[in-house]
Amino acid sequence: MSRTPLIDLDVERPAEARPTIDVSGLPEAANDWRAPIWWGNNLLLVIETAMFGILVAAYLYYWSVDFSQWPPPHVSTHPANLDPNPKLLGSTIETVLMLLSLVPAIMCDRACVRFDARRVKVTVVIVLLIELVAGALRIHGFKELHHSYDDNAYGSITWGILFLHLLHIIVSLAETALVAVWVFRHGLDARHARDTRVSLVYWYWIVGIWVPLYLLVFWGPRVL
Amino acid sequence: MNPTTATTSSAAGVGATAGDAATATVDVRAALTPDRADELLDRTWRHRPGLIGWLSTTNHKDIALRFIVTALAFFAIAGLLAAAMRTQLARPGQRVLGPDLYNQFFTTHGTAMMFLFAVPIMKAIGLYFVPLMIGTRNVAFPRMNAFAYYLFLFTGLLLFGALALNVGADRGWFAYPPLSGPQFGPGKRPDVWTWVISLTEISALVGAVEIITTVFKQRAVGMSLARMPVFVWAQLITAFMVIFAMPSVMLASSMLSTDRMPTVNTHFFNPAEGGDVLLYQHLFWFFGHPEVYIIFIPATGFISDMIPVFARRKLFGYTAVVLSLIATAFIGFGLWVHHMFSTPVPELGQGMFTASSMLIAIPSGVQVFCWIATIWLGRPWIRTPMLYVLAFIVLFVCGGLTGVMTASVSVDLQVHDTFFVVAHLHYVLIGGAVFPLLGALHFWFPKWTGRMPSERIGVVAFVLVFVGFNLTFFPMHQLGLQGMTRRVYTYLPGTGWGPLNMLATIGAYVMALGLIVFACNFLVSCRRGRPAGDNPWHAPTLDWATTSPPRSYNFRFPPAVRSLYPLWSDDPAKTPVVIGLQLDRREVLTTTVMDARPAYRYELAGDSLLPLFLGVTVFLTFFGLIFHPWALPIFGGASGVILMVWFWRQNTVEKVHDHPGEPPGPVHRQRPRQ
Amino acid sequence: MRLWGFIVIGCAAVLGGGCAGNQSALDPAGPQSTGIRDLFWLFLGVSIVVQVLVTAALLPPLRRRSASAEPPPLVPEEASRERRTTLVVGGLVLLTTVILAVLMVGDFLTGRAAHATYADPDPLKIKVVGHQWWWEVNYPNEREPYKGVLTANEIHIPVGRTVEFSLDSVDVIHSFWIPNLHGKKDMIPGHPTTLRLKADRPGLYYGQCAEFCGHQHAKMRLTVVVESQAEFDKWMEAQNRPAPTPIYASQKRGLEVFLTSSCVMCHQIDGTPARSRFGPVLTHLASRPTIAGGSLANTRGNLAGWILDPHAVKPGVRMPQNNIPPADLHALLDYLEMLK
Repeated sequence: MSRTPLIDLDVERPAEARPTIDVSGLPEAANDWRAPIWWGNNLLLVIETAMFGILVAAYLYYWSVDFSQWPPPHVSTHPANLDPNPKLLGSTIETVLMLLSLVPAIMCDRACVRFDARRVKVTVVIVLLIELVAGALRIHGFKELHHSYDDNAYGSITWGILFLHLLHIIVSLAETALVAVWVFRHGLDARHARDTRVSLVYWYWIVGIWVPLYLLVFWGPRVL
Repeated sequence: MNPTTATTSSAAGVGATAGDAATATVDVRAALTPDRADELLDRTWRHRPGLIGWLSTTNHKDIALRFIVTALAFFAIAGLLAAAMRTQLARPGQRVLGPDLYNQFFTTHGTAMMFLFAVPIMKAIGLYFVPLMIGTRNVAFPRMNAFAYYLFLFTGLLLFGALALNVGADRGWFAYPPLSGPQFGPGKRPDVWTWVISLTEISALVGAVEIITTVFKQRAVGMSLARMPVFVWAQLITAFMVIFAMPSVMLASSMLSTDRMPTVNTHFFNPAEGGDVLLYQHLFWFFGHPEVYIIFIPATGFISDMIPVFARRKLFGYTAVVLSLIATAFIGFGLWVHHMFSTPVPELGQGMFTASSMLIAIPSGVQVFCWIATIWLGRPWIRTPMLYVLAFIVLFVCGGLTGVMTASVSVDLQVHDTFFVVAHLHYVLIGGAVFPLLGALHFWFPKWTGRMPSERIGVVAFVLVFVGFNLTFFPMHQLGLQGMTRRVYTYLPGTGWGPLNMLATIGAYVMALGLIVFACNFLVSCRRGRPAGDNPWHAPTLDWATTSPPRSYNFRFPPAVRSLYPLWSDDPAKTPVVIGLQLDRREVLTTTVMDARPAYRYELAGDSLLPLFLGVTVFLTFFGLIFHPWALPIFGGASGVILMVWFWRQNTVEKVHDHPGEPPGPVHRQRPRQ
Repeated sequence: MRLWGFIVIGCAAVLGGGCAGNQSALDPAGPQSTGIRDLFWLFLGVSIVVQVLVTAALLPPLRRRSASAEPPPLVPEEASRERRTTLVVGGLVLLTTVILAVLMVGDFLTGRAAHATYADPDPLKIKVVGHQWWWEVNYPNEREPYKGVLTANEIHIPVGRTVEFSLDSVDVIHSFWIPNLHGKKDMIPGHPTTLRLKADRPGLYYGQCAEFCGHQHAKMRLTVVVESQAEFDKWMEAQNRPAPTPIYASQKRGLEVFLTSSCVMCHQIDGTPARSRFGPVLTHLASRPTIAGGSLANTRGNLAGWILDPHAVKPGVRMPQNNIPPADLHALLDYLEMLK
């Protein structure tokens, strides 16, 4: 009975020249989108983007119930505030600061590619400090919303959006701090250049996703 | 016999594709014998002995088997709950289970089956076989994989433990507010439910990231996307669906939780303060519908993998099947309102969702036609797995047809929330997912254990399960049309629903018996089955190119492929293998995304207990949130600390094992002299 | 072949035997449910044909099957057969699309026909409010509000007249469903909605709550009586009258017991000081065929058992147990039995 022979790759084929592909010459680390950690990080960011997408959809859903009363009037103060749009000062400063932080972040990114350890150290500290200030401004920024999370659905959803974003800032802070400590202690090599770049991508995402959220929550009720 | 670090001819260096003739044979210098290579690889890749080693393993096969065994245990428990429910409903007015216990039983049954059995086991079989089918040694993030398992285990213990303590979830597996809200769902039961959901979603999301990265980055040289088995495509597409669907239910359940927490007291679903109960339903079903495809698509992957083996020819219409899977995934996100036809959603919208719900029958139909065509064009070989495949085709078509019925708004308004829907969902979930699963367990049993399962016992189990299943669920179509609503702990004698319910209960017992026989088959065959060899079914994919069971490192040489069915069409003597990976480090080859050309060598993380610790702290975070919001900063902070240690350790280059007397640096595998 | 015969007969028995019923979607008593039933037959017919064809398609290849223990040899591909099969599969996909389109059009037409009642300018308006676990039924009279009728768990409608139900809930999501008359509509707090239907055939039908609403979701039933216009007017008039004054001593004692026990905390009886609407209105309790949310026949014995311990019948209901001494209980029952 003729049968297709099985390819038994685990059994040695005696005396036959087996074609091989030698990969010993390949590099051991990749600094960019070819690295699995890059993919893992970006997939997690896709998940988080989907989360914010759903929160934005929920925000718009609540708004669509009654377009004329958004945000809902704030009647527990005297006189009542019938159109309590969120205050702009703190969050605008924070937004501008975050956008400005992209400059040292991109510089750090480029320095990682070139393995310029000194420049990486300087810029990563700047980014870290800006992240700290942004986080502090955000914590203050909750007060700029006139409604609390337990007042009504508007308060709940806006606090929800801002709180989730704040959690991301905190996690990014920890990640950037970890990377900075490593670079200061052990210097910059291929793996850590890659890890620094990955944590910077996280920060780019935090800034990037903040812009539409900021516009929606703080400017949306005024403009639309 | 010193292995020398011989210079390797770089004739087959970077950029060689499997197709071109640049691969060359390497000249032999000193020999590293096959046994020595195996020994080195095994030392590198297996986990340490003892309890610590067992707890800290990151081998995808070990973790996948744990997932499978745990998920089957949860299946058994949830099945017992169903048997109790059927016993209660066998006759009108019985008092086997009171309403409180019945509510906990059906909620736990549904939640466990959907979240703790169906999704995890499909993912776990993928976790075991995707690296084998794509020719690599492990998944891309091994420790994260281990973490997913521990989290899954603790979550299951939480759900069933709560039931055992009479605080089981009792608001249905979708827990609509206001019934599950703070006013009408007092106590902790719905909180157990919401945090169980969040925990299982994290486990599933982590698994999805794992599969996508592994499939895109670690395929065998020459395995372009068009040469990937349908099984791998199905797992990949499912992983993408998980990523986009799961955030919705995590948010829905978290929003419900914060509404319920007395110290937080949000108003997401409180109509009195601008909240909306319908929003919960939208958020839940936006996840809920893709969820059933997350369960079903991997099952179609099993079928597409088994049919070629048991029809003895290539799958007909590979491209059509893959495109159908992708279409199903996309369209599957546009169906969710069909679960809400009886709510006051606008009617134009309802019509659109009827259209999309019917549209999705087309890609499913394409797959069914391709499978049947494969069987027509081939020669059916009847073994137990094939019986399950054939039954699947019949039962899934039945479930799909009742699905088309419920897609129509008018019909659905009569059958929604009745036993008709219970019948439909069990036909598609059991007929469409569990039958392929049972066939797959039979099919891959020899690969896992090295022994063949008994054919005779297998056929007996199949007949019992098939007959029992149909006897249980077919009468339920009629019951629903006669007015029997779902989630009722009893019914009145005057309704006349007694006889069909009794029939369904008898069927349930028959099916349970069949499943017990199925399990016994495996328990017996583990010890006394015929030895299987590497490829007892003469199957074409790479998972059958290893030993049974596979060694810890999967392949001595990672293979390259030239076709979709490597073991059927490639000449073994001419198929290149990859050499040059280090044997003393856990090194894998990463390849390019589209064409799978070699890109670089990637060292995987080693074994660690950190996944266990992280599993404990993340579990405690959500478990604590059942009781107080402070659990989030406290245990969340602890999880953060563990993650920082995790990434710190990731950064150090770990030499997994020290081998004194051997030269440092890369050790090349050369073709041995004979 | 015999096996197939048994299966077909068995299915026919299961399906055919149970079409009729007063809680059955397959026994329509109005134009809406008739339309849905007819649409269902269309879907069922198509489904049976498709199921039989798909199952039958598996049979010819199985005749060539191999049951050998070892894997049989592979079957080589033939280009011409592959091409023919592609055409066949393509044709089947096209056929599937056409069938689905037909079914979709059927659904659209049925839905449109069911909405014919929305053109009716003067429906009978009934407001139904879902409670855990009973139905509050209110016939508002816009012109003469004092002639509105308030009852519970029972609906009467005149045959041939469009009825518009306004549906709402005071606690959790319920679902209003009378299978013989129309599909269901959810009663969602915060989303009051309406449902219009018409009944063509007089009779007694049952409705049931169709959305899981807690412990006694299983026993939240509704009696629907479809009757002629004359009988309906007679019923409305009777419901409009306040409760009769007790005549005999035991009935007077019964009213006294009612007003001094916990009953008065939740139940309204028109014509007495009891005005609480937390629980079902009892003004015409004796005229109802059922009690306890439609789950018990309205007999003296059942009523006694229900009053003493509702939780023995419906564990988890809001009604407390009542420790009423036997003589007082008989008096109470005497009083309640006169509330026609």
